[in-house]
Amino acid sequence: MMNWKNIRLLYGKEIQGAFRDRRALISMIVIPLVFYPLLFLGIGYFTMLGQDKSEALPSLVTITGAEKVPQLAEILRKEEKIELVLPPENPEEALIKGVIHLLISIPEDFNPDYYSDNRINPEIIVQYDSTAPRSQLAKKRVTALLDSYRQEIIRGRLNQLGLDLDFIQPLPEQWIDLAAEEKKVGSLLGMILPYILIILIFIGAMHSAIDITAGEKERGTLATLLVSQLSRLEIVMGKYFTVMTISATSMILGLIGLSIAFLTPAYTLGELSLIKAPFSLTLFFLFFLVLAPLVGLASALLILIGIFARNSREASSYITPIYMVAIFLGMISLSQGLELADPLFFIPILNNSFTFKELLMGTVDGTHILFTLISNIVIALLALLAATHLFNKENVLFRA
Amino acid sequence: MIRVNNLTKIFYDKKRGKIKAVHDISFHCKKGQIFGFLGLNGAGKTTTLRILATILKPTSGEVLVNGYQVVKEAHKVRQSIGFLSGETGLYDRFTPRETIMFFGRINGLAEQEIQKRMSQIFQTLDMNSFQEVRVDKLSTGMKQKLSIARAIIHNPPVLIFDEPTVGLDVITAKVVIDYIKEFRNNGKCIIFSTHQMHEAEKLCDEIAIIHHGEFLASGTLPDLKRNFQGENLEEIFFKLVSTKVEDSI
Repeated sequence: MMNWKNIRLLYGKEIQGAFRDRRALISMIVIPLVFYPLLFLGIGYFTMLGQDKSEALPSLVTITGAEKVPQLAEILRKEEKIELVLPPENPEEALIKGVIHLLISIPEDFNPDYYSDNRINPEIIVQYDSTAPRSQLAKKRVTALLDSYRQEIIRGRLNQLGLDLDFIQPLPEQWIDLAAEEKKVGSLLGMILPYILIILIFIGAMHSAIDITAGEKERGTLATLLVSQLSRLEIVMGKYFTVMTISATSMILGLIGLSIAFLTPAYTLGELSLIKAPFSLTLFFLFFLVLAPLVGLASALLILIGIFARNSREASSYITPIYMVAIFLGMISLSQGLELADPLFFIPILNNSFTFKELLMGTVDGTHILFTLISNIVIALLALLAATHLFNKENVLFRA
Repeated sequence: MIRVNNLTKIFYDKKRGKIKAVHDISFHCKKGQIFGFLGLNGAGKTTTLRILATILKPTSGEVLVNGYQVVKEAHKVRQSIGFLSGETGLYDRFTPRETIMFFGRINGLAEQEIQKRMSQIFQTLDMNSFQEVRVDKLSTGMKQKLSIARAIIHNPPVLIFDEPTVGLDVITAKVVIDYIKEFRNNGKCIIFSTHQMHEAEKLCDEIAIIHHGEFLASGTLPDLKRNFQGENLEEIFFKLVSTKVEDSI
């Protein structure tokens, strides 16, 4: 017994109500469209700022025993971004304190020109602080210079033997990444996007879902609806479509907000230079096919919990663990390289995030999409049936 | 219009076990009649009315509203009733006008009919001045008027009013009481619960005194006066209730 006109009437009323609810508007519109983009912009901006700043500054390097390696000292001195400083009284302490960024210690009996069959040069000790960004940068710079110094020595020794550098490089090789550009982009996006989408889908609808179920119990308006001519199923469906709309709105606005954030210089200049993937209508349809069931599932679960709970507070505490599980399943998609066995595509949320990730990487796997659809729809239907059933149980309606 | 035979309602509570909220009550209420439930808080009034309104299911007994069974034909019953109680709340974020439009529509009324009935009801209950004010800004009396309007917008033959005057000032209470009388004159069947003796005395054609889920007495006011030798309802009520308390001691 279901009359679509009645469902539409209730849906219209609930949507109107949600748009008059400031808290619903904040979680549905302000958070995805303003808060998340600002958050990501902030992260991007400060990362960029930090990188730029330390890149611009010189690394302070000290060499003890520099007289033994005049050539190395010369190379270091010539490097613009490296400033050689005289050894402080306690060089190691100075390094820890950040007064210098790198300490090279040349042993007493070190001789770069020396080589023979029965003697090995002692090791040069290079000390740095892996927790200090500037010290890390100094390590990167000095490593490159040490490499070219090493090449110089090798070249010189080979010359003495009348040999070329090629002599000790019998296997010249070049590694080429054939991954399509969109796939590289997709794997980065694929890691974070599903996770963010899950949050958006749940968070956006959570407040409204509780408000129109457990909240109505609290305010007594649910009893008013129950004695009206709407059937229990019509009430559940009207509320369900409301929550789905709000959840989908939050997700779409979130995507728009994040696209804006990712297109700003903070990201396009950094390593996350994204959105080069060729977006087509088919791809959008596939996205819809994967995300809509997730919206449907999340909404059905929220409605079920809201109807079961005595009041808003109880509903929130029931939703928290479910939200955590959703986040956990979403986080699995953050791990790069993990591939799911086919049966695992029946696990909701996990399947949405992985199928979505696949789509972003340019893979379209019909089986995975089908499994995702089936599992989400079946679970959502069960949740809705359970919710309708709960409406007929008086101890659930009058537990206060 | 309303026929209740041997109605019993038992609740199960984890701590207290079985609770008999209503025990073996029978009554009937005809067209153009006001049947009053008189009882203390927790006497079983609200439970009975909730069963009539299909929100609760009877444990045993037969309940017919407008000829329909409350369990098997719940939807038909809901079409026939206007239910008002402390728990039938209103949507805070909507105006009285929007509220009535919504309930008119979901009760299957045509737009024109809603408009017509709404303006009649708003006129009678003196609601025109606040029809565009959001419910959360209304006073208790205004909200109660709106609740009545909400309950009767689809012009149901049976009205179930659980303590409709509770918390109202005397003037608003009088408006509500007069309106209920008008419903009777229009041939409605009205079930009405209260714990205010004078209200029941003035309004009800038949009265049932309910205590701990059982009917202690029921009948017309003259019947009750004669059978229990009391000057007024209050006297009869206290007589019956205190006898019951003594019995149980």
